[in-house]
Amino acid sequence: MPRYCRVTDADARSYWSKGMKLFSQLFHDLDSTTKTNARLDFLVNYFLEADPKDAIWVCWFLNGNRIKGALKTSELRLFASHFSGLPVWLVEECHQNVGDLAETVSLLVHGAGGIPPVKGLNEIVQRYIRPLVDMSFDEKRDRLREACNYLRSKDLLPFYKLLTGGFRMGISSGNLYKALARVGKVEPAFIAQKLSGNWNPDSLRMDDILKPSSDDSRLCVPFPFCLAYPLQEKPESLGICKDWQVEWKWDGIRAQLIINAGISMLWSRGDESVGHSFPEIIEASKLIPHDICLDGEIMSWGSDGLGSFSELQQRLGRKNPGLSILQRVPVRFIAYDILAIDGQDLRERPLSFRREKLEAVLEFLPSKFPVGLSPLVDEKDWITLSRLREESRERRVEGFMLKKRNSRYDSGRVKGCWYKWKVDPFLADMVLVSAQLGHGKRANLYSDYSFAVWRDGELLTVAKAYSGLKNKQIEQVDDFIRKNISGRFGPVRGVKPELVFEIAFEGVNISNRHKSGVALRFPRIKRWRKDKTANDACTLDEIRGFSGMKCSDSERDSSSIDGAGNLLLF
Amino acid sequence: MPCILESRREGLFCPAGGFFIDPRGKVDLAVITHAHSDHARGGHASYLCSDNTKPLLRIRLGLKAKIESIPFGEIIKIGDAFVSLHPAGHILGSCQVRVEVGGRVWVVSGDYKTQSDRTCESFEVINCHGFVTESTFALPVFEWLPEDDVYIQINDWWLNNAEREIPSILFAYSLGKAQRILAGVDRSIGPIFIHNAVSPFLPIYEKFGVNMPLVEKIGQGSKQNYTKGLIVAPPIVEDSSLLKQFGLAKRAFASGWMALRGLRRRRNFDKGFVLSDHADWKGLLDVIVATGAESVKITHGNGESLSRYLVEIGIDASILQGYGRGRQELLV
Repeated sequence: MPRYCRVTDADARSYWSKGMKLFSQLFHDLDSTTKTNARLDFLVNYFLEADPKDAIWVCWFLNGNRIKGALKTSELRLFASHFSGLPVWLVEECHQNVGDLAETVSLLVHGAGGIPPVKGLNEIVQRYIRPLVDMSFDEKRDRLREACNYLRSKDLLPFYKLLTGGFRMGISSGNLYKALARVGKVEPAFIAQKLSGNWNPDSLRMDDILKPSSDDSRLCVPFPFCLAYPLQEKPESLGICKDWQVEWKWDGIRAQLIINAGISMLWSRGDESVGHSFPEIIEASKLIPHDICLDGEIMSWGSDGLGSFSELQQRLGRKNPGLSILQRVPVRFIAYDILAIDGQDLRERPLSFRREKLEAVLEFLPSKFPVGLSPLVDEKDWITLSRLREESRERRVEGFMLKKRNSRYDSGRVKGCWYKWKVDPFLADMVLVSAQLGHGKRANLYSDYSFAVWRDGELLTVAKAYSGLKNKQIEQVDDFIRKNISGRFGPVRGVKPELVFEIAFEGVNISNRHKSGVALRFPRIKRWRKDKTANDACTLDEIRGFSGMKCSDSERDSSSIDGAGNLLLF
Repeated sequence: MPCILESRREGLFCPAGGFFIDPRGKVDLAVITHAHSDHARGGHASYLCSDNTKPLLRIRLGLKAKIESIPFGEIIKIGDAFVSLHPAGHILGSCQVRVEVGGRVWVVSGDYKTQSDRTCESFEVINCHGFVTESTFALPVFEWLPEDDVYIQINDWWLNNAEREIPSILFAYSLGKAQRILAGVDRSIGPIFIHNAVSPFLPIYEKFGVNMPLVEKIGQGSKQNYTKGLIVAPPIVEDSSLLKQFGLAKRAFASGWMALRGLRRRRNFDKGFVLSDHADWKGLLDVIVATGAESVKITHGNGESLSRYLVEIGIDASILQGYGRGRQELLV
């Protein structure tokens, strides 16, 4: 039952427009349940009832977007300080404890609930959020002051969330697509493709999203990526080996390469168009004589073989990279799937079919070409594969990808079709040395930790980790931290070095930016070593030792290129 | 100038009177501000508390404990100290301890709130030279609604669930908060059930004059029908199998901490009701200023921000070390 229309006395006395009211109600409804189905119902009802001009903004925000440059975090805190009459440091202290800036401001700055001059969420965004981008701080402050005059207490948090953006309200993009699909009576995949890529509510209307049209001018947008599950069991649990297509798991950037009517685009998984950072791939793709959508990986790759992820990082975020970096860090797009060709959607066809098609399309490409084919690993049994997997680190890959040969290309993470069978992570015992209050669900809980290892009798921080502990353990650690704070550095609390944790990580990069000289990749807590004391923690030399395994110069020759220009790793 | 209060391992100590306030460990004389377990611990040789705290303390400590009580406002002499107890408004019987030695007056607040609460005596401002204040909710993000507004929220939630035949489980601390809720909700909505931990205190509240609804203990009699019911239970049983019998019940928590969305989400409550037995930011500031104290010592909670803020507005304030309560209020 939609509850949006219930009018209370408070509403009658002082109301914000119906559009904002509907949105506030949606926000609080989504917040009032932890059940996915209930959330979907709320969302569907909202889309059925709301003005399409408002609804498109909700799609845009729930899709993870924000209006960039509207207001800096520091400006919002200053704003809160102005209107609450509290010193800025106290606003910051509140933010630390609440764990969410929009929520903090909603608790400190109250609305007056007057009658607003604008109607609809769209107009609210257009009047109170978008124009802030081009305003001075004083102008922003006045504009927000005006908005506050019209906010009811229920609207405060939703409004500030619009302002800061990046809120999902427990709605994954997959569920957003499902809800819209129910409203438009179309397939979620259709919605997903419409909402992929770069768009904003100026360029897209609800009708465009909900209704299929033949002359679709946005064909250069990516399909939703098919994601893999980590393999938790032994590979034997997947059945016989020959039902599975096995590839190396590349340590690069997942991307779709789309060619349409002579235009090439490269999309990352974050729905960002990244082609401008990789001009050699865009250039090379023009040789492919088809309209096509390829799924694959961008990797750093030179004449001497596969490079490391940290090299690839140097190419990220650069628009129009200069000649020197193009030569120093060449890149390559390795395709492992084909999703569409010449207007034909292949995603429902089995993987074996798509693989054949992919090979046929890319076969003719010259060697050492910036676009290539991801080779298959042709072993007949799991035991041989398991042995081969042990070589992953030397080969600078992360393990294997296992894809069921008869599977279609699904949207998102669907169990049973794609698995990542990663090489086991590195493990090291480290000491908890400092902590910070967490965010969101971990508000007011010391849950962001820094870990250190020994060098010459001194503890050096080498990793930060947020995940891996159970809620009960986090509360226990929080309790310990509160009783053992040894120093204060802004929001960071030094902690008596006593608790030891086993930290898992994927690799070690040598880094000059850190005092310890190393940066760990994807560190997370494996378990709490209650049986160990700080003295048992490992040393910096041991950590450095891991990096030798991953990325020493002597191993750079281990991979080479075959006649077809593919990496020869095995 | 004589030292009126000092901070010892066991807790706050008054050398002139030879007594501790809310101590841990084993002491000769413990003056107890209220009957919550983190203030009223067992094992001391003798206890002094307010008349209304005495029966609650008796339940907590058992028949053997040596408990004496005095009415609010009555001044007694312990050693060289003049001591009196004054309502703190936290729970039934809760008091502030006023200690006067050689003409200097210190007041130890215990836990307190300034908000109205029909289940306990109202907070009383005591003028003093020095004030020891709690600081559980000492940040301006904590600002309580009038309690009747919160009961309306609770009634709405309960009614909405009852109409759909879904049991409503409301977690609340077993002493104080639970009774406050029982006395505050609309008993016409449906039957009210309570957890065992809540029940022993009810007769004492009734004796004090609080009008309590008719309640049933959960699990008594196999034919209890919870579908329209409100079940009041302490948060400690949140994960226990005891709750399985209620099926797909809605779960809510009544606590000042529920002002923070993250805390509610972390515990997966469907709903949080911001109802606290502690003072909010404004309550703390109002009281501190009203006491006229020249010196303020801060215990229990978010002391850092409060102390810095007080210093900035010209009040000599500092944190009393060794009193970190951590997140006990949330966990107990």
